[in-house]
Amino acid sequence: MADSDAVTRVLFEDFAPSAVRLFYAIGYAAIAVFLYGVYAQVRKYRRGAPAGIPLNLWPRLESMLEILLSHRMINRRDRKAGEAHRLIFYGFVLLFLGTAIITLDYDIVGPLFGVHFWHGEFYLWFSLVLDVAGVMLAGGLLYMMYRRGWLKPPKLDYARPDRAPTDPDYDRSNYRREDWAFLWTLLAIAATGYVLEALRLVWLQGRPAVWDTRWWSPVGAALAEAYRSAGLSAATAGVLRRELWWFHGMLALLFIALIPFTKVKHIFTAMGSLMFRDPQAAQRLPREPADLPRAGVQFITDFNWKQLLSLDACTKCGRCHEACPARAVGAPLSPRDVILSLREFANKTLGAAQLPAQAELDVHGKAPGQVAMETLWACRTCMACVEVCPVAIEHVPIIVQMRRKLVEDGEMDPQLRKTLQTIHKTGNSFGESRRKRAAWTKALSFPVKDARKEPVDVLWFVGDYASFDPRNQKVTAGFATLLHDAGVDFGILYDGESNAGNDVRRVGEEGLYEVLAEGNINTLSGATFNSIVTTDPHSYNTIRNEYPDFGGQYEIEHYTTLLLKLMQQGCVSVSRQLDLRVTFHDPCHLGRFNQGYEAPREILKRLGCELVEMGRCRSNSFCCGAGGGRIWIPDPVGAEKPAQNRMREAARIEGLQVFVVSCPKDLTMFEDALKTSGLEGKFVVRELIELVREALIQ
Amino acid sequence: MKILVAVKQVAALDEDFEIRGDGRDVEAEFLLRDLNEWDDFSLEEAMRIKEASSAIPVEVVVVSIGPEEADETLRKCLAKGADRAIRVWDDAIENSDPIAIARVIAAVARREAPELLFAGTQSSDHAFAATGIATAALLDWPHAAVLTQLTYTPGARTARFRRELEGGLLHEMETDLPAVLTIQLGINTPRYASLRAIKQAAAKPIDVLSLADLSVPASAVGEAGSLSRVRRMYVPEKGRAQMIEGSVEEQARRVVEIIREAAGGAA
Amino acid sequence: MSGVLIIAEHRRGELRPGTLELVTAAQGARRGTDKVAVALIAESPETLIAAASVAGVDEIVTVKVPAREFDPDIIEAAAKALIEARQPSLALLPHSIDAFGYAAALAAKTGCGFASDVFRFEYLDDRLVATRGGYGQKVNIEVDFPGKAVVLLAVRGGAYKPPEGTASPAVSSFKAPAVKSRVRSIEFIEPPAGDDVDMTTAEFILSIGRGIGEEANVQKFRELADKLGATLGCSRPIADAGWLPKSRQVGQSGKTASACKLYIAMGISGAIQHLAGMKHVSTIIAINSDAAASIFSIARYGVVADIFEMADALEEQYQ
Repeated sequence: MADSDAVTRVLFEDFAPSAVRLFYAIGYAAIAVFLYGVYAQVRKYRRGAPAGIPLNLWPRLESMLEILLSHRMINRRDRKAGEAHRLIFYGFVLLFLGTAIITLDYDIVGPLFGVHFWHGEFYLWFSLVLDVAGVMLAGGLLYMMYRRGWLKPPKLDYARPDRAPTDPDYDRSNYRREDWAFLWTLLAIAATGYVLEALRLVWLQGRPAVWDTRWWSPVGAALAEAYRSAGLSAATAGVLRRELWWFHGMLALLFIALIPFTKVKHIFTAMGSLMFRDPQAAQRLPREPADLPRAGVQFITDFNWKQLLSLDACTKCGRCHEACPARAVGAPLSPRDVILSLREFANKTLGAAQLPAQAELDVHGKAPGQVAMETLWACRTCMACVEVCPVAIEHVPIIVQMRRKLVEDGEMDPQLRKTLQTIHKTGNSFGESRRKRAAWTKALSFPVKDARKEPVDVLWFVGDYASFDPRNQKVTAGFATLLHDAGVDFGILYDGESNAGNDVRRVGEEGLYEVLAEGNINTLSGATFNSIVTTDPHSYNTIRNEYPDFGGQYEIEHYTTLLLKLMQQGCVSVSRQLDLRVTFHDPCHLGRFNQGYEAPREILKRLGCELVEMGRCRSNSFCCGAGGGRIWIPDPVGAEKPAQNRMREAARIEGLQVFVVSCPKDLTMFEDALKTSGLEGKFVVRELIELVREALIQ
Repeated sequence: MKILVAVKQVAALDEDFEIRGDGRDVEAEFLLRDLNEWDDFSLEEAMRIKEASSAIPVEVVVVSIGPEEADETLRKCLAKGADRAIRVWDDAIENSDPIAIARVIAAVARREAPELLFAGTQSSDHAFAATGIATAALLDWPHAAVLTQLTYTPGARTARFRRELEGGLLHEMETDLPAVLTIQLGINTPRYASLRAIKQAAAKPIDVLSLADLSVPASAVGEAGSLSRVRRMYVPEKGRAQMIEGSVEEQARRVVEIIREAAGGAA
Repeated sequence: MSGVLIIAEHRRGELRPGTLELVTAAQGARRGTDKVAVALIAESPETLIAAASVAGVDEIVTVKVPAREFDPDIIEAAAKALIEARQPSLALLPHSIDAFGYAAALAAKTGCGFASDVFRFEYLDDRLVATRGGYGQKVNIEVDFPGKAVVLLAVRGGAYKPPEGTASPAVSSFKAPAVKSRVRSIEFIEPPAGDDVDMTTAEFILSIGRGIGEEANVQKFRELADKLGATLGCSRPIADAGWLPKSRQVGQSGKTASACKLYIAMGISGAIQHLAGMKHVSTIIAINSDAAASIFSIARYGVVADIFEMADALEEQYQ
């Protein structure tokens, strides 16, 4: 091996000093453009409202890096794209680090301290690693091109369900052009890098320190061998290398300069969005400070900086678009398009040098960049989009905050308006008298304790559907019997209970939610109990995750975990195996919201049921369509409903006997959907409680 | 330009209600109170005139005759955008019939001097359909009832309207002002009062007036000032309907029998 | 101070049917030699005499006024003058849309006893007691009129049947004071046709109300009505919401379903106007999930059930 000092790459070799100066000038200009771009973006975010979140940067940085380095979010539901991105990411990071090392050696420690380390063995390993990195980058990019150009997954076609083709902002060709430009530019930088490397080898083939170590740059060396055998001379290679060097250098500088202005910025914005993400974003919606001049979000400046930042993190990967139940049934909503609309709107308004007049900042409407009320009301707040977003965009709080403004203006379906008034008046969505809330207990052979009057071990928060819906009342009475027979000391709040408010809050009626939450907390504070149980995942979510913000800290569980414990303890013992082929529907608020995936499955196993999962299960469970107040909004006549879509999915399971649910609203939604989708008779919809009761019969 | 909107806090009966000891009303604990549905429409009609008027400012004042608990109803009206609220109460007003209530509203109208006074066509609880029109008589103002459409531009000296007659026939009419108009359901779509707006309205003052403030003698209200007196309230025999019991299938079978019999007779 | 005075209602040159129901109502209030008089306050009252000459009418009083159609100022002034002149112990008018517009004003101006929407009245110990509904018809309220020599009652439509047979009552005339009219009639507008259904001739109507919940459910009941051979009708809230055209609305303010003999009300709790408008139907089947719904008070048959389940069951049973 040659002398260690000679084993390196001489930078700007054979360049006139003026050429080097020119390169530096252009380099500084590119960095200046980059910095201005960063400034403009930061100015855009700062025009938003304060986020009011604790910054605690270290833990946030740590968790961001964990997601970033592991790529676990981007790998979900599109493994190949995730792996290709991993190649691009790590290739890019290594190449970036390589450039940084050269800069450190050549521009910093070299001139300042006369220290150079970029030679010898280090240099050789460096070359090898970067060559491999280049292959990773190019490989990833080529797969992405193959995917966009040949596989063409529908989630990447950018078709907008919220706009008609005649609308001015329907066309998404610019996005498509940008996608391709991004891929081609990076690929061109990588490819020209290899060619440069090869040309340099051919040019310097007479220099042993270069030529003898060429296989440390395997791709470059292989290309060089090919050029040589094609008859390329050292002198010609030298000339070509100088021309190509400029092309490669300019392309790289252009890339850097354009980062803040193009989708490339997701490198930074995604990291920012991940760093400031709220792991409870959809489970616990933001409170509305009392001193706000208006309700919710009306103007783009009403979003906080973190939300504005996350809009820029979207890479249009389409995972939310694919997961959205509203989109799946043709409703005018795609979470992706809400984000892209708002981003376009923010760029146009907040991105301008001067902040436009407030009238031009209204994000509600049908003009380009605005979000129509039909779109906002289509959302089921099922959290499928938030849960799957690889860059931690929190669509649901954005949509709900915008709904708050619609609610304030009364811009909602008449039936929803009526329901909200009813809930305010009677404390339940059925418009029934409070006195009738516990009417279902009359059918029982034993009295149910009034938890307001005597201490109980377990306080059962029943919820509206379980209390008032005649079909669900049977299940409710069944669960009461289960608890009673298992010897559980339980009680209910009778007419002291009100609607828990989970869906009212997701509708955007924050004021009414506060009334309900505070009312229930007040009632609960007058009762003595150890823990709360509920059969209603909606009540479960809000009591568990949102009541603490109002001073209500409770230990609460969904009935599935309590029932499982009772079975494990032998308090509830199955006397026969049901031998049924079943599938289980994860309720959004139990599964995705609160990770209650295992208990119901474990119970089914104990009942002797053969569980066949649907394609969309667990975190990818498909919403029944009732969430976010949609149960109070009529679905369009004629169009498919999410619940019907789900029934068709279940019907594809060979020999399915029972579609098992563990949520009162699910029971209502799916029993209806089974009838209306013409699948009645193929299988039945049952509450898990009903199956348990059946298995107890000797 | 001013519109006075008379609103009532009505009561609906809760489950298993009980009649009061004196047999003249229902026990108060079984009364579920709310803004009269018709009044919601009349307030909305006033708000529409207010919001459509650019040249002439329009003030919408709501008035209700009732004890303190009626404030809740007035606050709902304030939340919907009414500029001011007036509540009149005096123990002497207890047991007033609609005409006695009208005397109090008329006194408020004299004091406020609006161009238009709106009232609901009737109240959902006692359905006299009398208060608004009686107020007009006491003021000697022109009046019309059961409006399903109103066209009025602030500043104009007349208002055009349609009332809906039996069989859906519409009668287009015109009235001089000031006038009392009673509003029918369906004339518009009342707006939603968000809880946020209701809470904010809690900060708005409600003028509470007594009979003395309005120079209305106690003899003009209560039983003395009324044209009728409740003698007895009772739960009627459960109609004459013959109830069909059984499972849904059994019920349906019986209904089908009845249909066939009756249809046979009809044909 | 005696006798019963009925203030007749007319529109577009014809006597309104509610007037004749009052003649029947008045018979029960005759005391001693009480006479029943019908006042015809109109531009050409003589043209209405024949129609008003029904059994039970002792006298017809014509009052010529300068108003072709309903004019609240003019009818009010004429009726007030008539009542003050004749001092009847009881004055009756129909609790109709026109009466909504002047009955209370007449009462307030004359200071006579007054109750509206009365469906029954009688003399107990020589004191008039009238019965009306309260709290959405969930209770009955008996009212009396202490110290009132003259009492004005607006009587609920359909509470009494019109008399059969004619009479030849004496005809007198009364001169009403001239008043300035402040509310002017412009024109009548026929309700929009909507679709070509004529509820007035339908013999079998299946009607839906608020209980159907949402517009999407209308179709279900349309199909049920088709299957049963019924005409689909609705209550006011359904028409107000635009779920069905106004022409389908039945009840007092809707189409008069005069030919209807069989009426199925599904999810209609029974606002008073609706009940009044359908009371004449001989067979009413009310289906409602609320056992306390007031519709059961006028129905011949009542079914407490979920209306959707019942709709399914009916479809199945009616083959």
